[in-house]
Amino acid sequence: MQLKTKGKPHNIFYPVVGRVTKDHTANAEILLIEGEIPTDAITRFSLVLTTLDIDKAIDKPSVYAIPGFEHLSEGDIVLVNTSGMINTLYRVNSNHNFLLFTERCNSNCLMCSQPPKNRDDTSYFFDTYKQLIPLIPKNCFELGITGGEPTLLGERFFQLLELLASNLPETEIHCLTNGRTFAWPHITNRLGELSYNRLMLGIPIYSDYYQLHDYVVQAKGAFDQTIQGLYNLAKNNIRVELRIVLHKQTIPRLAQLAKFIYKNLPFAEHITFMGLEYQGYTPHNIDKLWIDPVDYSDILSEAINYLSDYGMNVSIYNSQLCTTPKNIWQFARKSISDWKNIYLDECNKCAVLNECGGLFQSNAAKHSAYIKAIMQE
Amino acid sequence: MNFHINDHQLCLLIDGRQYNEKVLYKCFYWYSNNYSVDIDIETGPFYKITLQATKESDSLSWNHLIEKIKKDLIDFKLRDIISQETQTIRELIVAKAFAYYEIQETPQTNISDPVGFNPENVLEC
Amino acid sequence: MLTDSLPNENATRKFKEFEYFGSKSDFSYYLLPFRFHNINEQREILVNEIGDFLIVPTGTAELIIERKINPIAYPELYGDLIANFFISEQPIPSLIDVLATRYRTKKSFLDYFTSLHIFVISLRCEHTCHYCQVSRVTSDKSRYDMSKEHIDAGIEMMMQSPNPHVTMEFQGGEALLAFDNIIYAVEKAKEAAIMRKKTVSYVICTNLAPLTEEMLIYFKENNILISTSLDGPDFIHNKNRHKPHSNSYQYAVNGIIKCREELGAENVSALLTTTNLSLQYPEEIVDEYVRLGFKNMFLRPISPYGFATRNEGKNKYVTQEFLEFYKKALKKIIQYNLDGHFIREDYASIILKKMLTPFPVGYVDLQSPAGLINSVIVFNYDGEIYATDESRMLAEMKDFTFKLGTLGINTYEEVFYGKKSLELSEAFLNESLPGCSDCAFQSYCGADPVFNYTTQGDIYGHRPTSSFCQRNMEIMRHLIELMDSDKKIEKIFRTWITGKN
Repeated sequence: MQLKTKGKPHNIFYPVVGRVTKDHTANAEILLIEGEIPTDAITRFSLVLTTLDIDKAIDKPSVYAIPGFEHLSEGDIVLVNTSGMINTLYRVNSNHNFLLFTERCNSNCLMCSQPPKNRDDTSYFFDTYKQLIPLIPKNCFELGITGGEPTLLGERFFQLLELLASNLPETEIHCLTNGRTFAWPHITNRLGELSYNRLMLGIPIYSDYYQLHDYVVQAKGAFDQTIQGLYNLAKNNIRVELRIVLHKQTIPRLAQLAKFIYKNLPFAEHITFMGLEYQGYTPHNIDKLWIDPVDYSDILSEAINYLSDYGMNVSIYNSQLCTTPKNIWQFARKSISDWKNIYLDECNKCAVLNECGGLFQSNAAKHSAYIKAIMQE
Repeated sequence: MNFHINDHQLCLLIDGRQYNEKVLYKCFYWYSNNYSVDIDIETGPFYKITLQATKESDSLSWNHLIEKIKKDLIDFKLRDIISQETQTIRELIVAKAFAYYEIQETPQTNISDPVGFNPENVLEC
Repeated sequence: MLTDSLPNENATRKFKEFEYFGSKSDFSYYLLPFRFHNINEQREILVNEIGDFLIVPTGTAELIIERKINPIAYPELYGDLIANFFISEQPIPSLIDVLATRYRTKKSFLDYFTSLHIFVISLRCEHTCHYCQVSRVTSDKSRYDMSKEHIDAGIEMMMQSPNPHVTMEFQGGEALLAFDNIIYAVEKAKEAAIMRKKTVSYVICTNLAPLTEEMLIYFKENNILISTSLDGPDFIHNKNRHKPHSNSYQYAVNGIIKCREELGAENVSALLTTTNLSLQYPEEIVDEYVRLGFKNMFLRPISPYGFATRNEGKNKYVTQEFLEFYKKALKKIIQYNLDGHFIREDYASIILKKMLTPFPVGYVDLQSPAGLINSVIVFNYDGEIYATDESRMLAEMKDFTFKLGTLGINTYEEVFYGKKSLELSEAFLNESLPGCSDCAFQSYCGADPVFNYTTQGDIYGHRPTSSFCQRNMEIMRHLIELMDSDKKIEKIFRTWITGKN
């Protein structure tokens, strides 16, 4: 899935965020031109993107000599940088749009798929999203917030949430956070004040035993902070989802973790057990992380059935049906974002291909040794 | 632990330094269904425990009973240790549980952001 | 070396080993409050202050207390103990607020105060059950039916409960013999509930013999729940529940079928009273409940009150026999579930919910603070107010120890916060009763001052000879042993708790 392209910049002095269109009568900010340039019509656009190699023919800010617009649909929202780089921020035809709030993080998880960067990017992202959010279609069903750790935006985290709440009141907002910041009651209380019912926080918990959790996230005191954060959130009626990545470190105490969740965190609205993505830090730490999904099927099924028996809402993400015990198929979801979802050649023969979530593109290089087409019975 | 047995009576001499009075009372309380129990202070740190068989007493042999008593004394001593060591924390849990005003405590640990985010700098509202 | 993490801990993003994240290098730890009890020769149970438990090899408690556990020799157990709040590496655990919140949650059945209001709407009955505690065979309505003045006063007091949801339960005698009284009371309560913004649930306890079509229509219109009695197959039921010149069993079964048709199966329940005769037929009784399509049954021991204790030959059995009966019946019930037929035993379910869930369970006979006054109050047919259903039965034996006042004379405050209530409250908490304070099952059990008083002469009771203690200790031990021995049974127990098959 292509999410960026590049051309030659002309007269662009600051990054521009806008909706793209090929129709010069449409309500949009950025006009895409592949053929003739309709000189009089371009005045109402703030920027022009073109495949043509025509440097000084237009005095508008523009990017020219772009390889193509095949990856863009009418109404998609892009960020045009002064360098001529064009990033797709929002795709109207996708249900997997997300806003990356920052690449900073105060944890450093062994299996992080998007390793953090130690530089302050918060004002860059803040400025971008301040422009983006008002342009997102009001009928957008769901929008993710991810990072890094979004709460590190501090003040601006709240400003962006308020912007989302006022611009997209009907949109489900799903924010991935390690929850540690919410251990500070004043921050959680402030989030509570927003009474933002469409907001759900997805918070990872990797073990019931602090040392193991702290090891996985590579931060001392993280477990206690996350648990305190979860309690503060619950007190403020803020919706939470718990997220568990399945790997060699989390599997041995998975049944105990399930029990810990039901006993101590029964307010969690959703609990997801997620297969390992072969991305970011994971290849580097693979010896510490890899366990074949087939080898954890019993323990996973025990944990899932336990929680489900007690009425908790449970899902399995990033799993393939052929490596998942049948008694928990009902919990497996097709969860992988369209732009990074693949199937193997073997899968083409499979009778349950349509029900299967497939693999991350990155897992083409590392996946269960037992992936095998399931034949019609 | 010294003991001697008469026809219907078991006498135990127990060192109070080993099992304090509270432990003795808690332990022998459970023998008061089948025995008439007396706990007397002897000379020094010793206690004399007398178990007098009543008609409800089962037909367990005295030796068997002594074994059971030894085991129970250890268990009640262990319970006593827990109770002593955890009294403060138990009171704290109950006090916090039913506190009229909830005291919201700020973590003492670090948020550990390398770029320097500090939760304290975020305003309350 | 093991100092608090610094802001620049992640500056290098270099991965650290597992050991780095431990907070203690000397393996010292602090105990948190917990209790222990032997389950059998091999296993013991550890229960913490909030009722979470671990089943471990015998001798583990000793190892923990003597500081012989460390994360190297016992990595899994050590993690279990820390994660489940049995030990802590700090003198005050960093998650003490979690413990406190969970403790409060467990006790939150108290939050709303009295919910169950029992109206003994009439003492008259057409049955002459040999274990019956109070009833009279008579047609003297004026003497044995609750007066309208007392009903009004009872409703007024019920509406003063701080609880926004109250249950109005009609008992007898045979409540349906005073159906006119029930209609009067329900209509009055409905009016009052609107004025006072309360919701009221209605329950009628009845043997169903006097059931008519007219009654069924009224139950349906008012969402009234039916609680009836079924002691097992006809040869047991009819022997227990003597109804002159007729077949009590047939009345009960026909009534149950009719009520289910009209009201829905979920609105009809049956209670079992265990008599000496029943003790010999645990399997037959379970079969009977299954045959009649019940999804639950309640194996109750006979209560030591009223006529029940007088009729010693028929009903005085030792706890041991009841326990054997209980275990056999439970085994049969579990077998039905293993075979794919859902049926739940309610007493076990109440205890299991306390053991296995983080939620509060307010069951009047098994809670601390005790259920009397805090959760239930009884308005007797003659207008006298009692602390529990059992208290009014004592009163029939001329013992008025648990009489709290009289309808129409005493105020709400006098009844609920009066001298008598205060005296009783001394024995409300099993946390502070001798024998209970160190008991591993404390958080699953309760205090029952009325039972103590009736059987042992004082409200505090004597645990070593208490049948309440013997019965509950053994049932709890047995349930834990069952779960520990077979995961399939634990899974069945989960379905009993949630009712989800």
